Amino acid sequence: MKKLIVTAAFLITAIFVSPDLSGQCDSDGYSNACIPKLATGFNFLKSYKIDSESGAKDKIEFSYVFTKGTQYMINLCAGGTSTDGLVVSLYDSKRNKVATSKVNGEFISAIAYPCNATGIYYIQYTFDGPSAKCGGSALGFKR
Amino acid sequence: MKYVLAGVFVAILVACGSGKKTDEQAFLNSLDSANSVADAIDDELIKSVLQNIPSPIEISVLLKESGRKYDHSMLNSPENISKYNNNYKMALNLGVYGTDLGYTNIYQQNQDGIKYLEPIEQLAEGLNIGQFFEIETIGRLAANSKNLDSLLLLTTKNFNDINYYLSSQSRSNLSILLLTGGWLEAMHITCQLSVKDPKNKVLQDTIGEQQIILEQILILFDLYKHDENMAPLLADLTNLKSAFEKIKITTTYKAPTSEVVNGVVVVKDNSTTTVEITPEDVNNIKTITSEIRSKIIS
Repeated sequence: MKKLIVTAAFLITAIFVSPDLSGQCDSDGYSNACIPKLATGFNFLKSYKIDSESGAKDKIEFSYVFTKGTQYMINLCAGGTSTDGLVVSLYDSKRNKVATSKVNGEFISAIAYPCNATGIYYIQYTFDGPSAKCGGSALGFKR
Repeated sequence: MKYVLAGVFVAILVACGSGKKTDEQAFLNSLDSANSVADAIDDELIKSVLQNIPSPIEISVLLKESGRKYDHSMLNSPENISKYNNNYKMALNLGVYGTDLGYTNIYQQNQDGIKYLEPIEQLAEGLNIGQFFEIETIGRLAANSKNLDSLLLLTTKNFNDINYYLSSQSRSNLSILLLTGGWLEAMHITCQLSVKDPKNKVLQDTIGEQQIILEQILILFDLYKHDENMAPLLADLTNLKSAFEKIKITTTYKAPTSEVVNGVVVVKDNSTTTVEITPEDVNNIKTITSEIRSKIIS
């Protein structure tokens, strides 16, 4: 009985005091790691945390007003190989698809978008195939 | 046995008490009556609209790239800090000073930029969000013009962290005020420059396109229309919206194309927007923007 309680105490301490050991998605770490990976000349605008919450969400979406004459870059960071099945797709204000990072079955880690039409754009993250469904992304701009 | 159970209890308490709970409590305690209506408001809606608002840095870069000269006389004086003594004014002017700091940074006017660090620190501490501003590091980076990229990165990140924190604390009204103050200051600078250079179509279009941002800001303010602090500003912003109503933004859609270049999907945007705006429209928007700004910074 004593052993059981000691083990329980250890597990509870490990889970609560060290969240990183609990297998949670470190989307904060991935999004921070993505910022310096923006291509040269791009100014950082936003970082996005992508966490499917253990598969509960099949897509995560953010929005931002893009401006004509400005070039934007959205990149992806995740564990494992390539983008670990993480895909970013960009939609315009009428929900027309502008671009996706999955091209001919290949997972690309960044989209560059020279905007020619000002408006609200939707940045949608989805998960393709078996993966941790966890990652981060950064948005940058240049004129 | 008792000691083991006590140990488990202490471990849980330590775990739950870790992080920024003390700061969070101090922050929550400090909020004034402006937050009282927030509980009834859909936080998810606010978060989704807040994230749309572009960074004022984009406009500062545009101004510099289009050849506009640096003019510090357009900015809010750091000495006005003593006038801001409630959360409403502090949040708005933290946004104003944030835009001014970004403007000085983009133009690499470090001596002017450094003057904004102290008021920004004071306002952030007044709102109990001082822990998000790495003022010493920002000051060190600002001392050397070669550090521009790091400086912009850090200041942008600090403001993003504040907005995220305020939203996560269900105190988005302060976040709305911060972003609105920053946006109005960027509008003020752009309008001032456009009026001095009435043939500059890029500046005119930039002002016209702000119609989209103002619509987003009004969605947010409308949620707080019964808040005694925010209602007067909502009325002012609604008045500003009326000045935008003559401006027509037309989008022509044409499907985009893309190709992979050096591991990046590069899009060719075949759509376009055109903005119909006159110098008179700009002048009208400038006048109303200046009136609103004067109320905020005085």
